[in-house]
Amino acid sequence: MQNQNNTIIQVKNVKKIYRMGSEKIYAVDDVSFDIQKGEFCCLLGTSGSGKSTLLNLMAGIEKLSGGQIIIKGQKIHKMSENSLARFRQRYLGFVFQSYNLMNSMTALENVEFPLVFKRVRTKKRRALSKDMLKQVGLENRMNHKPKEMSGGQQQRVGIARAFVAKPEIVFADEPTGNLDTKTAMEVLKLIRNIAKENNQTIVMVTHDKRVAQFADKVINILDGKIQSIEKIENVESIENKEKIETTESIEVLETKLS
Amino acid sequence: MRISDLIKMGLRNLSRRKARTALTVIGVVIGTISIVVMVSIGIGMNTNFTSQVMEQGSLTTVTVERIANIMDDEGNYINSKEQDNKYIVFGSDTLLDFYNPTSRNYTTKSIDLTKDKVTFQFNPYEYVVNERKKPFSLKLTNYGIMEKVDNWEYDYSCYMDIDYFRTLYKKYANTLNAEDRKKALSAIENYERIKITVAMFLEPMQETSNMLQMVLGGIGAIAMLVSAINIANTMIMSIYERTKEIGIMKVLGCVITDIKKLFLFEAGMIGLIGGIIGIGLSYLASFAINKFGQPLFQALLSTNYMYNMENTKFSIIPFWLPFVAAGFAFLVGVLSGYYPANRATKISAIEAMKTDS
Repeated sequence: MQNQNNTIIQVKNVKKIYRMGSEKIYAVDDVSFDIQKGEFCCLLGTSGSGKSTLLNLMAGIEKLSGGQIIIKGQKIHKMSENSLARFRQRYLGFVFQSYNLMNSMTALENVEFPLVFKRVRTKKRRALSKDMLKQVGLENRMNHKPKEMSGGQQQRVGIARAFVAKPEIVFADEPTGNLDTKTAMEVLKLIRNIAKENNQTIVMVTHDKRVAQFADKVINILDGKIQSIEKIENVESIENKEKIETTESIEVLETKLS
Repeated sequence: MRISDLIKMGLRNLSRRKARTALTVIGVVIGTISIVVMVSIGIGMNTNFTSQVMEQGSLTTVTVERIANIMDDEGNYINSKEQDNKYIVFGSDTLLDFYNPTSRNYTTKSIDLTKDKVTFQFNPYEYVVNERKKPFSLKLTNYGIMEKVDNWEYDYSCYMDIDYFRTLYKKYANTLNAEDRKKALSAIENYERIKITVAMFLEPMQETSNMLQMVLGGIGAIAMLVSAINIANTMIMSIYERTKEIGIMKVLGCVITDIKKLFLFEAGMIGLIGGIIGIGLSYLASFAINKFGQPLFQALLSTNYMYNMENTKFSIIPFWLPFVAAGFAFLVGVLSGYYPANRATKISAIEAMKTDS
């Protein structure tokens, strides 16, 4: 706890109990950990391990059964629905496995969407969104609707939407779950690069160990409990390793992106 | 959310499901038309009754000038004559159809008011006349005869000053039995208290027209109620379809009051659009009723009220009615959107995002 000031998320003895009839199911069972500012943290576990539930708890989407979650010194579990919504506007971004884009809106409008709730003026939010879409390499696709784009492109729109309001924390729930390996790696690098650029904290959930290797810290979860927390010190080397594994075409794409 | 964004989003959502929005709007249009037209007919009737009674009021007064000019046949002034209140004004048809009581075949007899006497008589079914006394008759000095008008109501009556009538009445009461005399005298005392005013005619008519307005308004209200249910149904359907969107909005930081406002706005817009179109069509309907509805109204109303059918407006839309109707339609929309909107705010974000759409 030497850098207390740097801790952005504190999870303390968090429990989530579902009732299935008379049976109690401990989806999250007495979990505690801290996440530092600017850290890329990954919750790794098999399906049904409670990792997604934990993420939802941290994002304030689900209610706690016990324990505390403190983000930026604020007790998430005690907030009202409206103040939670405002908190999300200001500090949180989300990337989903199934993208969760608004099908009726174009890519640009989708990216603008969080800014609409933040009461940002039209001109300003349009400019911000365009910048963001350029960053994720979709400057040619701004006026396409989600259905007219590939999975990878949709997820990039999702990422642009998550980062457009410059949130301090971005929650990513299996962001690569619906993508093929190649696209998955691109998307992960994109998330990582944007986050590192702005010193943003990422909390990602995945079941894929290869995906988890992009993180600074991996929390292994099994049956709602933490198995181990491992820090990946030399991220760059792994990234280099990944680079060797991926095909040349991606490298070409990556240079385009950067 | 800014109001402008809210409006933009709401309108966009409505235009996304054009057919459904249009159908719901048509419901409101029908409701609005029925309310506006019904109320306008009610107002039209009320106005007609009033104007009719007012006309009557002006005709119940006969102006008799105290100093009358006497003209010759060519209309030149000859003399003037001051008269007291001892005069009788005859309706144009009161002097017709007299016949000779001694003749067998009822030959009609023309009357010369300058020579003949007027005999007053009590209603023989009500009072017993003392046979020994002579019936009361009067030689007319001042009299007038009204010109014949279209309105038959005034042609068969005679009119006189009420004080003059009273003196004659009291004098003539002597010809009755002692008992009946008292009765007759008290009758005229009571008569004093009866005041004939326009309101006397107007009140029962207005009661009728108020009843009619309520019945007509009720018909309109039923149509509006149906369209309100229709709006609620549309909004609930729309919320089911957009469950996922609502979930996304919540997660992205949309305050629940904004979600509520969005749905209330959409419902209110359905009401308002329907209301405005309905008002426009109501003017058309009102025009058509005034132009072609005459036979119908004649059949409906002529038995009870004399209508001057030729240039009567049956449906009158006063200037405030469209505003009230539009406001009402909007209100109906918002109210019927209230329950669905509340429902939308209660949707759990996680559950919503898991649903497919």
